[in-house]
Amino acid sequence: MNKNTKALWQSPWGYSESFLLSFGFLFIGFALEYTSGTSSFGAIVFPYNLIFGGIYILQIVLVYFFIRNTATFKFLSGIPASIGAIVALSVLVVIMGVTSQVPMQEKGFVNNFGLNRITSSIPFLLINFYLLFILAMVVIRRLFPLKWSNWGFICSHLGLWITVFAAGIGSGDLQRLRMDLIENRIEGRAYDAKGNYFELPLAIKLNDFKIEEFRPKLAVVDNTTGTLYEASKPSLIMIEDGLRCKLHDWKIELEEFYVTSGRAGDRYYPIVDLGAAPAAKVKLVTPAKDTITGWISCGSFNRPHESLKIDDRFSLLMTVPEPKRFSSEVSIFTPDGRKQEQTLEVNKSFTVNGWKIYQLSYDEKMGIYSSKSIVEMVKDPWQVYVYIGVFMMMIGAVYMFWRGNKVKNEETINVVSD
Amino acid sequence: MIWSHFLLAAGISTGTWVLAVFLPKRVLIRNILVLAGIASIAIFIAYLWFSLERPPLRTLGETRLWYAFFLPIIGFLTYWRWRYNWMLYYSLGLSLLFLFINYLHPENFSKTLMPALQSPWFVPHVVVYIFAYAFLAASSLVAVRGLYQEYKSDLQPKVMLMADNLVYLGFAFLTLGLLFGALWAKEAWGHYWTWDPKETWAFITWLGYLVYIHRRFHMPAKFKSSLWILALAFVILLICWFGVNYLPSAQFSVHTYSQQP
Repeated sequence: MNKNTKALWQSPWGYSESFLLSFGFLFIGFALEYTSGTSSFGAIVFPYNLIFGGIYILQIVLVYFFIRNTATFKFLSGIPASIGAIVALSVLVVIMGVTSQVPMQEKGFVNNFGLNRITSSIPFLLINFYLLFILAMVVIRRLFPLKWSNWGFICSHLGLWITVFAAGIGSGDLQRLRMDLIENRIEGRAYDAKGNYFELPLAIKLNDFKIEEFRPKLAVVDNTTGTLYEASKPSLIMIEDGLRCKLHDWKIELEEFYVTSGRAGDRYYPIVDLGAAPAAKVKLVTPAKDTITGWISCGSFNRPHESLKIDDRFSLLMTVPEPKRFSSEVSIFTPDGRKQEQTLEVNKSFTVNGWKIYQLSYDEKMGIYSSKSIVEMVKDPWQVYVYIGVFMMMIGAVYMFWRGNKVKNEETINVVSD
Repeated sequence: MIWSHFLLAAGISTGTWVLAVFLPKRVLIRNILVLAGIASIAIFIAYLWFSLERPPLRTLGETRLWYAFFLPIIGFLTYWRWRYNWMLYYSLGLSLLFLFINYLHPENFSKTLMPALQSPWFVPHVVVYIFAYAFLAASSLVAVRGLYQEYKSDLQPKVMLMADNLVYLGFAFLTLGLLFGALWAKEAWGHYWTWDPKETWAFITWLGYLVYIHRRFHMPAKFKSSLWILALAFVILLICWFGVNYLPSAQFSVHTYSQQP
């Protein structure tokens, strides 16, 4: 690097001033966080966020009008200022990345400076506003005068600005509620993370909750510790019809398998009943050529599980099957008297009256016999603006891929020959 | 079954690539050997996809496999474009390293795929990321070489141009991966960004390369600081990729790829 011959704060400003500014904001932010205690700001809601956003944009426009011909504008819309702001934000995000972000009761260093709730801390807020301000200056500089060749640049930078601005301003209006649906019952209330109930402008009746599971797996556990034995891999083998396999040193043959079954006497029979569990008859051959035959079952909420003892140290067992797919057949009633039949599934949501309904979970203890379905209801009026920003950034990324390197190649090549 | 096929595929790749390194005089034969090794991994991935009945993109071992597949392709393309033999050999070496790690840590090739991952976004999200990581890993190799040349006072500007190219391509993929992930999360969980530890580190990685690009654009004539930024950015990328699972912040992550018991 060149020797820094110019005094600090003497025009033109560069990296030193940029880092002093952005880390100054960080410092002020942490100082404010410390003095204001743990009573962090809450997110602002409509219409205050709209007013606040409008004032912020107006402020940007005014600042631009007053300083557009000064060296300060050149600095604020330049790369050193951007890098300073990005690095200051990175510092906060790194803190977020190494500490666990969970609320704590006790007072202490971490809590006083808001390090366990960075995203709602004052330094994070300040840096974001500073970054958005710098980014706005950068975009404005490229917008006036508008040149066609800048479209890729404007897509990526303005897209980022819109995304962060809309997501930040709109976060107070985002509502995420849960609703517990019980088969054949109509539910019109949902609750938030704190357990407060809300009346919704819609009601849902769960007609049927459907769940499919994968086949259970075979595994060997240590009798004394109860832990999975993993001497060789794979240590879990999924049951399939006619399975013959080698699990560690034991040869295993599947003789019978029923997805739903019940025990009667010395064996399991296929039955259809509430709580009927998977069971299998297996033949196991030890390295010493001893043959052990017996039934195993993973059990269910009302039936015991059963494992097969191999020797004093080990047992063979069947794992509880994992869900493959679950969905809710529902009728959705709205105040206008309409009734819509829908299927809600993971990754397949449905929108009604501004609420997006997601299949979230079910009564996992009951497994395939669950008659309860848990859905999440999300209202996010700012989503469309965030998406506009996201799609602009995507176009920017594709442009970047197409155009490739934009660094001035001649300058790069010339420098070494100097 | 799957395991023995893996050994066969990895063995073929290792064999062809070792031969390729020791037959540098016949460029055509060398190139054919390199491509044969790549094809062997490709066939194994296709077989795995087929026999698992799901895209093999879920576990760390499976992503390593894709990495071992894409890295030599990118190395080969870079060699084709810039005529750097060392880039090809480096990428082959790295790819073999990943195959070797998979050999040391065989996984349960499990068919199960949790419902949250059964989405049309799953494949593009992960594939785009793997591409990004491979480009960025290649760029960090270039950075290390540049720093070595710098140390020997023999820095070639061509090295910088190559680093820039790789970073631009990698960064474009990285951005798309991040945004695909956000769109998918909105569809599946109701919110695009929840500061899950993996997301947090992916964002830090993104910021790291953002700094590099801006620094290069601003000061194309200053190499050393840019090279250090590039090397550091890759360290962050590695934390994001492997390290996250071991951080205290990761206990509630949806991205930890852990096997279910």
